[in-house]
Amino acid sequence: MRPENYEAIKQPPSNEFELNFGPNHPGIEGNYAFRVKLNGDEVLSARADAGYLHRGFEKLMEGRLWIQNIALVPRICVPDPVPMEVCYSLAIEELCGLEIPERAQWLRVMQLEMSRLAAHLFAFGGHAATTGMYTPMFWGVADRDLILDRFEELTGGRVYSIYNIPGGVRRDMPDGFLDRLGALLDYLDSRLPDYDSLFFRNQVFIRRARDVGAMTQEQALKWGVTGPNLRATGLAFDVRRDDPYLAYEKIDFDVVTQPGGDALSRNLVRRAELKQSIRILRQVIKHLPSVKGAVRCPIPNPLAWNVPAGETYTRVESSKGELAYYVVSNGGDKPYRVHVRGPSSMHAVQVLEKLAVGSRLEDIAQIMFSLDACPPEVDR
Amino acid sequence: MSMLIDFWNWLPVIIQIVIKIVVIVLPLMLMVAYYTLLERKVIGYMQIRIGPNRVGFKGSLQPIADAMKLMFKEIVLPTKANKFLFLIAPMLTLAPALAAWAVFPFDETLVLADVNAGLLYVLALTSMGVYGVIIAGWATNSKYAFLGAMRSAAQIISYEIAMGFALVAVIVAAGSLNFGDIVRAQQGSAAHWFWLPLFPLFIVYFIAGVAETNRAPFDVAEGESEIVAGFHVEYSGMAFAAFFLAEYANMILISALTALMFLGGWLSPFEGTFAESWFAWVPGFFWLLAKTFVFMFMLLWFRATFPRYRYDQIMRLGWKVFIPITIVWILVVAYAVVNKMPWWFNT
Repeated sequence: MRPENYEAIKQPPSNEFELNFGPNHPGIEGNYAFRVKLNGDEVLSARADAGYLHRGFEKLMEGRLWIQNIALVPRICVPDPVPMEVCYSLAIEELCGLEIPERAQWLRVMQLEMSRLAAHLFAFGGHAATTGMYTPMFWGVADRDLILDRFEELTGGRVYSIYNIPGGVRRDMPDGFLDRLGALLDYLDSRLPDYDSLFFRNQVFIRRARDVGAMTQEQALKWGVTGPNLRATGLAFDVRRDDPYLAYEKIDFDVVTQPGGDALSRNLVRRAELKQSIRILRQVIKHLPSVKGAVRCPIPNPLAWNVPAGETYTRVESSKGELAYYVVSNGGDKPYRVHVRGPSSMHAVQVLEKLAVGSRLEDIAQIMFSLDACPPEVDR
Repeated sequence: MSMLIDFWNWLPVIIQIVIKIVVIVLPLMLMVAYYTLLERKVIGYMQIRIGPNRVGFKGSLQPIADAMKLMFKEIVLPTKANKFLFLIAPMLTLAPALAAWAVFPFDETLVLADVNAGLLYVLALTSMGVYGVIIAGWATNSKYAFLGAMRSAAQIISYEIAMGFALVAVIVAAGSLNFGDIVRAQQGSAAHWFWLPLFPLFIVYFIAGVAETNRAPFDVAEGESEIVAGFHVEYSGMAFAAFFLAEYANMILISALTALMFLGGWLSPFEGTFAESWFAWVPGFFWLLAKTFVFMFMLLWFRATFPRYRYDQIMRLGWKVFIPITIVWILVVAYAVVNKMPWWFNT
């Protein structure tokens, strides 16, 4: 439009205006957008505008062999890919009635917790960045990289490991892996006080995050909030403890809760879960050498694997909340239907839209990151 | 030598002034350029990165490369922008940031204009900068830019009050508006400098200065994760560079003014101690530079370790904390000056 043709639309005088927040905005995680209605700085309403990351995972999976989907599912959530593989494998194992060896169970627990550590380091770093403090983000990314080094050693892949298959894991771990993992855990343990003094106990940050995006426990349950976000409202619910899978029954860990339900509590829950993950991994390191045997149970030819007809709903605790796969098989070599219940599909849409109302413009990004929303989980 | 002086006197006054201005502005511009490099390096190391290290030796030519890039970039004019205001805004921001240096004494005698109301002049000029910001945000005709401009205006105006009050106490204590006299009033030893008797104001002034330059943790006007880049979101090329230069020139100015008014300017920190004669050969300009660098470094340090304040928290801090502190301390200082409390207030 030429400037001479431009004429302001006549509107009754009002302080309200609409703002397009994203999809290309430094305060937004991934490609995701909001249409925000503002009164000055105050948010009157927010409407999530997803779809910028739609890659059609659920539909793609229907056209691929059961085993091929293993390489597809971790793409659904980049920062925390391992639970995707594990959960999908668990679903197939349940459909086929496969009993996976104990060693594979422990190896999966190890990966899940390594992935949780990496994801949490990423998550609160991102939260810090939304408040204009980039140092924790860089620290988190740097320390996450060391975990990725271990993933590379174990699986050959840094981010998408594609290490789990229905029936176990692809191969055993290399010699001396547990020692190097132990050294990494010691290092991460020694880093936590640094994170505390820089970030979690930073008075400015605490003021910034307290009472922002707060929800009560009833609201959280009504809105389908899970994971650290639910635990931050004071409810000790963790799939790992309340519906144990793999070897979690034999592992001793605390389900951390915080009373507040706000952005600060969610962050403190993540901070405490870093500690718990390190604790779980230490138990794995202690226990794993005593578990001998195969890492995979015998499976049919994966390229002509007709999974028995049936349906199953399998859930695991990912770093972002309850991740579940609803898998339907009609006895063919491809899934009939796979539905991914990404925790962020609740957090990033309905919860975020509600929490944003009444907050300030500058807190939208903070609320989104404090919920650890992962947009690709919305656009499956 | 005498020939040089003759030549200097022979030059028309206007040329003399231009030469003097160039002698101040050129090093200042270089300092700004390398301050950006310092910032990227310092914050880089704080964030376990290396920072720029590709252009020149360990990245030493990075600012030059940045300047070249910005100079050759097109200044994109948004369709709905007001062209005149859009282009005048960066100039309005940059000019006061440079002009404020006119009355700044770099040493006992080294000052371009030894104005008696120097402090007033600096206050007036630093307040001018906000017009550039408001006009930029308005002329861009973008919601993000406008939000940034409004925030910036409100923030700068509130902190200007606290800053002004802090300076009132300095004026009362020094008994002069002339920067040279303010420094001379701090003579004696490091304990005679105004940071000690005016300690709360020293802190308030520096923090208000950080807020005034829109730097972290008070950078809500630019808040990257909130309103993208605030008032200069649509600026590119040299127009953006002008805002950038102004911001960094202001940061250096605030650091230098803090050093001048609270840390004794060009006075040696060893004055009045046994080590005074050992450092007598050090020019006063060096001490001023060293003190300025302390504050310049702190500005970078803040950015790496503080989250951004929320806008209402900034306002609360300015109006409910800083202004009461300064008012109370002005009364304390006035009482001390009237009763000629040694050592500081025996003017």
